[in-house]
Order: sequence, then C-alpha cells, then structure tokens
Amino acid sequence: MDKPQLIEHIHEPVNYTVYDTKWLPLSAKFVVLGSKANSHGIMDIYELNEDKVVKIKSVEKKVAFKCGTFGASSLRNRHMAIGDFEGRLQVLDLEQPDLPVYNVKAHNGIINTIDAIGGTQIDCGAPEIVTGSRDGAVKVWDIRQGQAPVVDMSPPPQMGDGINNTGSRRDCWAVAFGNTYNSEERIVAAGYDNGDLKIFDLRSLSVRWEATMKNGICGLEFDRRDIPMNKLAVTTLEGGLLVYDMRTQHPTKGFSYVEERNAGRSVGTNGVISGPKATVWVVRHLPQNRDLFLTGGGTGSIRLWNYEYPDKRVIDDSDGNKIGVGGTMHMVSAATLSTQPVHCFDWHPDKLGLAVCGAFDQNVRVLITTKLNTY
Amino acid sequence: MEQKKSLLEKYDIPLNHLDFVYVEKCTNAREMEKIVHILRSGEEGYFPDLLRVSEEKLKELKPDSRLFRYEEPIKQSDVLDKKELKPIMDWTNAIKSKDQALNELKKDKLLLDMPSVRKLAKIDLEKSSTEQSKPTKKAQVPAAAQPSKPKEERIKATDYRKWDKYDPDEELLRMDLNEERNKEEEEAKMASQQKPISEDALLDEKKSMYERLQMHLKKLSPLEREQFAEKHRLRGNEFFRAKEYENAIEEYNCAILYDPDNAARSYNNRAVSHMKLNHYIAAISDCEACLQLEPENVKACLRLADANYAQGRRRESYYMYQRVLQLDPENTSAKKSLEKLNSQVGELAPSNATRLMIEELKPDADEKKAKSTSNEKPKIVTKEKPPADSKPSVAKVTPVSKSPEPKEYDLAELVKPNRVVKSKLVTAAEALGNKMQAPKTGLSKQSAPNIQPKPMKDPSPPMLRLPQENLNNSNKLLIQEI
Repeated sequence: MDKPQLIEHIHEPVNYTVYDTKWLPLSAKFVVLGSKANSHGIMDIYELNEDKVVKIKSVEKKVAFKCGTFGASSLRNRHMAIGDFEGRLQVLDLEQPDLPVYNVKAHNGIINTIDAIGGTQIDCGAPEIVTGSRDGAVKVWDIRQGQAPVVDMSPPPQMGDGINNTGSRRDCWAVAFGNTYNSEERIVAAGYDNGDLKIFDLRSLSVRWEATMKNGICGLEFDRRDIPMNKLAVTTLEGGLLVYDMRTQHPTKGFSYVEERNAGRSVGTNGVISGPKATVWVVRHLPQNRDLFLTGGGTGSIRLWNYEYPDKRVIDDSDGNKIGVGGTMHMVSAATLSTQPVHCFDWHPDKLGLAVCGAFDQNVRVLITTKLNTY
Repeated sequence: MEQKKSLLEKYDIPLNHLDFVYVEKCTNAREMEKIVHILRSGEEGYFPDLLRVSEEKLKELKPDSRLFRYEEPIKQSDVLDKKELKPIMDWTNAIKSKDQALNELKKDKLLLDMPSVRKLAKIDLEKSSTEQSKPTKKAQVPAAAQPSKPKEERIKATDYRKWDKYDPDEELLRMDLNEERNKEEEEAKMASQQKPISEDALLDEKKSMYERLQMHLKKLSPLEREQFAEKHRLRGNEFFRAKEYENAIEEYNCAILYDPDNAARSYNNRAVSHMKLNHYIAAISDCEACLQLEPENVKACLRLADANYAQGRRRESYYMYQRVLQLDPENTSAKKSLEKLNSQVGELAPSNATRLMIEELKPDADEKKAKSTSNEKPKIVTKEKPPADSKPSVAKVTPVSKSPEPKEYDLAELVKPNRVVKSKLVTAAEALGNKMQAPKTGLSKQSAPNIQPKPMKDPSPPMLRLPQENLNNSNKLLIQEI
C-alpha cells in the first residue's frame, strides 16, 4: 500500500464528554477539554510516552469547557485560551490553572468556537483570540486590553440579546482567522447555523464578503492563517464540504469553490454510499502540508483529502474581471473510528502524521497517519 | 405500496449490458460506474468475475471514481512495523528535552516589541448585510438614488397613454447604465479593500520587515530560531508545490535568516526555486552555500551541475557531475548528463590558459571579498546578483531615473568569449571588445531594475559593481594572456 493509512495508536477512555483536544506546542502533551456528568468543566493534560499516555494533570472548574486554543500564546508561555458553556473566556497558564491569566465574560451564551493567532508569528500583528457564541456575536479579544473586545461583530439589538427574544438571532458555530501575512491585514471568517458565511476584514472593519450555504456551517479553517489567504475549507450539516479558493475575489460572484456533497457519510466497505446524510463536524489542514486536510464526520469516520490546484487559478470572465478557479479534491484515505461523531481533531504542529481526536463516545484517540510525506 | 425500483431500472441500463463483451467495449465512464454499482449491489446476482473485469475497466476509464473510495475500520498500531513506529517513540523522547528547555525559557521574559492593541471597534452586521447583499437587492438602491428619480411605477396594461410615452430603448439604456454603475461600485469597493500596493511601498515594507526580523532574532533562543526556521522552510515547500516560486523563495529567505547554521536544506530548496525561475546564477550560489554546510550533499551537487550547465559553464558542470558520481556512483541523472556533455566535448573550452582567465572574470573573487566584509550574512550578498538571463519581457524597461544605481553585468556573459577564443584566436580577441560592448547597453538596462528589488541591506554595493573600466581592464588582460 502506497497511500497514507490512518492508524489508531492509543485509545484512552474518559468518564466525561470530550469537547476539544489540542496538542501543547513543541511537546508530547495534549489537553482534553470536556464536561462531566454534573456539568463541571474538566481539563486533563496527558503526555504521550512511547506507546502509552500518562495523565499528568487534571483540573476541574465549575462550568463545562467547550473549546480551547494555543494560537495566541508564544512558545515561551504556552497559555491556553478556553471558552466555556456560560460565555466566559479565560486564558490559563497550564502550570497554575487555578488563577487565570485573563478572564472575561465574553458572551451571553455558550462559546461554541474559538480561534487565535499571533502567538508564534513574529511581526504579524497582535496576538488575538476570536470567539463565536450562541448569542450570535463574534468577538475579537486582545488579552492586554481590559474587559472589552477589540472588535465586536454582534447582531443588532432588535434581534434579542442572546437570552431573551432570540428567535431571529443566529447562532455562530465556527470562526477562523486568516490572511495575517503582515501586521495590518487580518480576516475573520464566521459560519452560522443558518448556513451564512461571513468574511470580516479587520483592517478595513467591514464585511468583505458573504455567502450562504445550504446548511449550517459546523467547521471552518483557512489552510494557513499567516499567509495571504489561499484556501478556506467549510464543512456543513448534511455532509457538505466546500473548499473556496480565496486568492481571487470576483466583483459579483465572489470566490470560487469546489464542493463535495457526501463528505460526512460513511462510504461503506464496497464504496456504495448508504445510510443517512451526516454532518461534517470538523476540518483540519495538515500543518506540514496545506493541501492535505482531514474531515471528521457524524458517522464516526475520518477522511483525508488532497486538494489539487487547477492549471490556471485565475481566468478572465467575459467582462474582463478576474475570477478564481476551484481545484479538485481527492479522497486519499478513510477510516471509521467510532459509532459517534468525531467532532474535534488536532494535528501535532511539530510531528508529521501525529494527531489527537475526540469523539462523542467518551474516548480520546491518538492517531498516526503514515506516508504523508509522499504528498 | 410502490415497489422499490431496482438499480437496473433506476439507471436505465439493459440487462444485456451486464456482460463481458459489452464491458470490454464500453467507453463511457459514467455507464461503467453504474454497471459496477449494480454488480456490487448484488441485486442481479453474484458475478465475481464480471465484477472484477468491470472494476478493472472502470479503473482504466476513470481512475479517481468515487466507487474506488474505501473506508475501513481503523487499524490498531500493531499493524505497523516496529520500524515504522520507532520514529514516533524516539520523537516522544526527543521532544521532551525541547519541552523542558522551553519551560526554562519561560522564566526570562521575551521583550519583543509587540504590535499595539487594536482600537476598539465594531463591525455592524445589519448595515453591511444590506449593503453587501446580492446584486438583485443592490440594483434597487442606486435606482432610487438616481438624479431623475422616476418613481418606478408599474404601468398598467390598460393605460395606453402611458404606454405611448414608454420608450423601450431608453429603458434598456437605463438598465445598462445601472448595471454598469453597479459594477463600478463593486469594483471601487474591491479596490478600497485591496490595499493599493505600489512596488516601492512593497519594497520598503519588505526591507523594514527584514530589519525588524534581524532585531528580533537576537532576542530569540536557538530553540525558537530553529522552530521558526523549520516552519518557514515547510511553508516554502508548500509554495513550491503550488508552483509559486517567488513566494517560496521569500519563505526560504526567512528560514535561512532565522537559522543560518542549519540552513542547508533551505539553501538547497531555494536553489531549485531559482532554477525554476531560470535564475541560474542565484541557484549556483545557493548550491555552493548548501555544499559549504553539507559537502556531501548529492542533490546539491547535482543541482549545481545542472545550474552550471544551464548557465553555459560546461566545464564546471562537467566536474560537478563527476563529483556527483563520486558520491553516488548509481546516479542515473548525472550519468546521462555526463554522456551528453561528453558528446559535446568538442565545444568545451580547451585548456588552462583560457581557464585561468575565467577565474579572473568570475564573480567569485568579488563575492569572497564581499563575504569577508559582511560575514554575518553571506547569502544576502550572493542574492544581490542579478538573475542571469531574465528575459527582456520580464524586466520592465522603466526609465532608470535613479541614475547612480550601480550597474551590473551578466558575469556569465564574460565566460562565453573564451569559447570563441579557442577557434580563431586573434580575430576573436579583437572581436571580443565589440562583443563585450554590444550586450552591455542592453544588459545594463535590464539588470538595473533587477537589482533594486532586493530588500536586504546591501553591505558593500561597490563590491558587486563591475564598472566599465574594470571590464576594459579584463579585456586587455584577456588579450595579453592569449
């Protein structure tokens, strides 16, 4: 077999619902965030020791944790930014987790999603954290700035406040930073439950572009955060997987894309698709190769994809405007991990092919993917 | 109750198409997919041989068909060889020391001048959504804002008087105008979003970026530098794969800047990128830099040989290929190229006399001097050299307003005359002078804009300069030696 293979290295059962798993940069440790049965938040730190994992720390807090990231912390301090079920954003020093480095009531509802940038890049803008919440707001935070967000992208007040009268208010499910290639440019992409995709430009403080998918957006990621934006992967309910070419924006048609309709469903052993449409929960690009990415599906399967660029990425349309050309996606490999959705996944930033993922079956798995270097 | 259609009916494929003869002849990939699907479903019975044949056929017609996607239960790590797992095991041990080192670094605070906090701001979703939305909505906004403001009321079908006044041409024209205006607005908006980037601004930005990088670098620990360098190198590889060679070179520049001691791979990769852009001289110097760090690097040797060949330095290329074969006797690429060179050997410049002169004219001497003056960034100097044979179409013939710009010459050109010398010594030597003059005017124009884009500080511009008198000297020298 010459194609990459997905292999389960270690399987660690836990006694709580896992919500997020993240590698601690430049270490063999990973953090698992979750919610206990009594809805207390739990953060476990594990360390990979050859062929077993050892729990080295466990922290419990009153409110369940939903999501976390190391993106805004430098290699020296490696603080983790965490969003919880009550809308609180805290930045924790994993050595002294009892006293948060930064703590703010960020949203009125649960923080569904978090992304951060600027920690390790030199000279590429301030370290910032973006959160997306059930209250429909997307907020950008800088921990050097007191208790207010540096950029606030909330829906107007007549749409309710996140607790009362929230009927017309959207629920933000996914956020992602991108386009941070110098100290000014920065873009936030946000995906909502009704399928809205909004691209906010933080330099000009405007909505750069918006589009609507057929289904709610569950996952978003730019292939790289710190280059001029190149590709944006979007995953939706009912199995949609879209990859936008973000290099060229057409004045009216926006960005071009390539779409895969049944990315969340099981392929079945004989390649015949059967079973219900399933959500694609998460998409993660390989840190060592931006054209390979992995999706985690609602049927407990993960799939590895390879994006190929077209011969010409930009063409002129009949009006003489530039329009982007979508590439093609090939499924490289697929495997079923669990009977429950695989909803969080993290590639190790420093070790090619190593990954950790969590599923709703209360298990954490360390995966190895072979032969990724052949791409 | 309605009976479920069989796949055969659904796809509308006659039963007699499920046959070896038909499958053999079928050229329609879509139909083949359907046939495979039907056979796999087992609705028409179980035909393992036919299925195998049809799958093979499909693979031939459409190798990336979705029907070849397989998903299997995940395998445990025991399917892997010990050999394959070992890197991971070793890595878990190796990374721990780095982890430890980082924890210790935590104590001494890093005093990077962080970008300042953004001014508090709000992006109004409601406003922007009406403003941004679909073109259909947009069309109404400017229509209302039109100076004439004709309240667009629908003319009743029975209102003949109004219909008499209605001029379809005018309406069409108005629609066209509206469309035009919308387009212009969109374009203006896009333009405002995309920062107008002038070449100069870009250059300044890059220059200051490299300067700031240099400053930051001093404060970083070796571990961090190594990490960042690796990251940039990988990023460079990504750009390379996407065939964006300029960007790749930028990333490799950063990688080399961050960690010059372990930059062999970055040099090597940058050399390939330069080769792809036909910047052979830059490629040669990168290969040399790589070989300085890793003298045994076969790839770098091979690349150096190729670059030399492409640049017309066949002798150097010849020796380099031999060196490759020394290191790796099985290297087929080197063997082939050597054969090719051997067949052209008549064209090779002959013996030592001319060879000496090549040394004299070669940029190496200058380079070495430059290197000694600015030890800390040797590759920057090497980078300054103009891309050897950038085509005239690439180089913009901007009027060289900055006249005191150091003129550069394609040093490689100087080598060529040696070959000419070989055959007709005296006449060629005379002709040489003319030859040298001829390309000069054209060349200086081309290369002048080319030197400018180098963002890095030029430690010793005069070193790289080959002023006219110098050239003349060397010409004389040439003739004397002959």
